Amino acid sequence: MTDTIELLIVIGSDASLRYAPPSELKYVLDKAGASVELKMAVTKGDCAPLRVKLGIQGVPQTQAPSHGDEEEEEADLPLPERPEPDPSPRRPPAKRGSTR
Amino acid sequence: MTLGSHLTPLARSHIVQADVVFAALSDAIAEEWLKRMHPDVRSLQPCYAEGKPRMRTYREWVALMMAELRADKRVCGVFYGHPGIFAWSPHKVIEEARAEGYEAHMEPGISAEDCLYADLGFDPGRYGCQHFEASQLLYCDRRVDPAGYLVLWQVGVVGNRSVGRFDAAPAYRALLVERLEQDYPPDHEVIIYRGATLPVEQPRIQRIALRELAGIPLTAEETVVLPPAVTLQPNRAMLVRLQALDASQHAGTGA
Repeated sequence: MTDTIELLIVIGSDASLRYAPPSELKYVLDKAGASVELKMAVTKGDCAPLRVKLGIQGVPQTQAPSHGDEEEEEADLPLPERPEPDPSPRRPPAKRGSTR
Repeated sequence: MTLGSHLTPLARSHIVQADVVFAALSDAIAEEWLKRMHPDVRSLQPCYAEGKPRMRTYREWVALMMAELRADKRVCGVFYGHPGIFAWSPHKVIEEARAEGYEAHMEPGISAEDCLYADLGFDPGRYGCQHFEASQLLYCDRRVDPAGYLVLWQVGVVGNRSVGRFDAAPAYRALLVERLEQDYPPDHEVIIYRGATLPVEQPRIQRIALRELAGIPLTAEETVVLPPAVTLQPNRAMLVRLQALDASQHAGTGA
């Protein structure tokens, strides 16, 4: 059986395969000895078994801290103002700098 | 980012020529793709942990890459989509590397945003387009312009402060809907979009009403798009001034 990842790389980088009708792509995959899951993704449009087989999970599309994450609060966010008790010693001001 | 499709020739060349490659990719299969280009690919994903603040994870990524750089290695960091969009550590590691005298630069990539314009078929130049990380609309007082497109990222984890807490979403999202209803009617169309990760997939495009946004299942991979709700209004005062300027230019030319 041909390596599924290799086949996906070939399909992803070949204009004639990337948008080929399912019947044409299935013919190519049959000839290449593709896995059942890959052929099911093409013929039935159901990628779920293939995603499971390949260990694909949903992850956030961003790799930046969300608002409210630690340290970003120090840098970007206007913090809610709190009245400071008069006699207590003052804390040093929060460090300010760009985080993006 | 679609496997096999979305990698520029120059980005590939950087990967191939590096001594060590760090990878923060969307899934294991994309890492497998990378491993076929380079024998020393080190995944950054294990740095994530449930309940661990993302910022700590991203600082660790920077530290790992800098350690190899200081060991005189040629280092390449590979991030899904565009490394400079909604990504903290690529900017930071370049800044730190340059500060220590190393040469460092960023290669642009093909982001979910790029795929979104292609798959949904709208041009951000026509009516304008605002992008927000969704939580920013809750934490900060931002102005939304409903005459243009609005793209919201990370709606699936809106209000959550760390990776791995994708569960309590409906209650947080209800607040987001409440905020959006200040600028849009409750029945305004909302598009839920997810680009194709695999080259045998189609992009997923779902259309719902804004009021339904809090209640539907939404993964962290999905992006929310609100098309314009009102028509563009002419700025009459500025148009008068432009006309006057045009007239003076013509008068100057004719003199």
